[in-house]
Amino acid sequence: MGIEQRREELLKALSDGVVDMDEEKVKEAAQAVVDEGFNAYDAVMNGLAAGMEIVGELYDKQEYFVPELLMCADALYAGLDILKPHIKLEDLGDKVKGQVVIGTVQGDVHDIGKNIVKMMFEVAGFTVHDLGRDVPLEKFVEEQLRTDSDIVAMSAMMTTTMLGMKKVIEMIKEKNPNVAIMLGGAPVTKETADLFGADGYAESAGNAVQEAIKMISQLRKMHADNRESS
Amino acid sequence: MSQMTPRERIQTFFRKEPVDTMPCFSGMGMVTIQAIEQMGIRFAQVHATAEYLAKSAMITAEMFGFDSVVIPYDMCTVPEALGCGASLYEDAEGILYPTVPNKWPSMDDIEIPKDFLSKGRMPVVDEAFRILLSQANGKFAVGGWVLGPFTMAGQIIELDLLLKGVRKERDKVVSFLDKMTDLVIEVAKHYQKLGVDYMNIREMGSGTDLLSPKMWKDLIQPNLVKIFEAIESPKILHICGSTDLIIEMMNECGADALSVDQKNNVAESRKKLGNDVLILGNFDPFGTLAKMGSSEVEGVIKKCIDDGVDAVWPGCDIWPDVKKENVEAYVKAVRQYGKAPSPAVGRI
Repeated sequence: MGIEQRREELLKALSDGVVDMDEEKVKEAAQAVVDEGFNAYDAVMNGLAAGMEIVGELYDKQEYFVPELLMCADALYAGLDILKPHIKLEDLGDKVKGQVVIGTVQGDVHDIGKNIVKMMFEVAGFTVHDLGRDVPLEKFVEEQLRTDSDIVAMSAMMTTTMLGMKKVIEMIKEKNPNVAIMLGGAPVTKETADLFGADGYAESAGNAVQEAIKMISQLRKMHADNRESS
Repeated sequence: MSQMTPRERIQTFFRKEPVDTMPCFSGMGMVTIQAIEQMGIRFAQVHATAEYLAKSAMITAEMFGFDSVVIPYDMCTVPEALGCGASLYEDAEGILYPTVPNKWPSMDDIEIPKDFLSKGRMPVVDEAFRILLSQANGKFAVGGWVLGPFTMAGQIIELDLLLKGVRKERDKVVSFLDKMTDLVIEVAKHYQKLGVDYMNIREMGSGTDLLSPKMWKDLIQPNLVKIFEAIESPKILHICGSTDLIIEMMNECGADALSVDQKNNVAESRKKLGNDVLILGNFDPFGTLAKMGSSEVEGVIKKCIDDGVDAVWPGCDIWPDVKKENVEAYVKAVRQYGKAPSPAVGRI
């Protein structure tokens, strides 16, 4: 079997494993990537993330629901745990510097959507500072200043906690106008995000996946372009 | 015939007999910040004192002319009584609803304390119901609610354990939901024994935003059937979020009325269910009462009625920090457009 053919085979196994919620399959393929000396970053982006992209489509078509999303995410993590230590810094390029502060705002103890977005940031090579859930507003501001992160991602499942986001955005933008703000959660609409001065939004766990996948898709495209040009 | 009292109106409504006009009520929290401020307290203080709960509900109902009072306002009273605690956010500025801080780490070894009805704030809520029932005197109906078994489970254990469990450890989830079902029945019956006028079962977390219709039929429906068999009328099933794909199955659970939120296409649901089923809904309470201009409210309420609801219900708790003029416009529109009969309820 040619090297390229074997690469394709492993990428497909990773992608299928994520889509089929098959942790064992993903682990096996990820280990093979490492043992056989294939590029770990390629495996993450074009295997695991490509699988998650299909999962997003299935969610969109209402074939998959949140339980399935969570199982797929577990499968993805199983592969990521194996591959991540083998990703070379030069593969990540500028993205290695990327840092994000993430959490659900005070008054909200739901963190499924947040955890899925966190996963996609990790896939993309960001350093993630996860503040957890039920996070007091000023903690987001402090953590952004402490880490000098490029992105602050906040989630709220309840309308009632969403209003806190506005305050955080004001506090952060006042201190550092270049920070990108991502909002997520059931009550968050494009309109609210605009109104609050945020830079991106996602309205549900599924939608968060879609948004995050769009981001990853862009990165994958860049990665593919780089491969072609190199 | 002379005008009905709010209580008569709602009781008659649930029997699907002709009423004088559409009742303006809900099966979820309706407290407003205007009432809280009039009492000179903060929202965080209202949840732990029977007098505050009862008084804030009544002041709100009187202020805006609602036909009902509904308590409690938060979803932590039962989890707290089971030992999961409650964060009331007494130091936070602004309005935050209480949350459950210490969920159980797994579905194993679940023991529901026999005396949970006397634990935590359960006696506070009981006392608030007693105050409301003794003072309502027909001026308003007293509504009670309990979370449905799946939503209750999500308040007691981590939601991702539960959601992954439905695929990974189905038997465990089934037996856990059985226990939650018995718990819900016990609480609902307890409030019915105290004398509430209607009981709303809020299985909010089970819409198709989270679960597939197949899973709903398999895991959610049987427990709801069991609950509605066990409790008395009037009894309502409320599910928020996406319900278009499950509305017919919701109708098979044995409730007297179905409540849905703004994500439901009520005109379509009405076609699917026919004119004999009580449908309640379905405006977005935050968008309609807290956000939009007051002149837009009438159109939102009218659309609910035109689509075929029998009574206009907010899709969830009213977000307390409402614009006064929006709530006034909502009540006015219900009174104005609610004079005509609705699909399932005639007019006298």
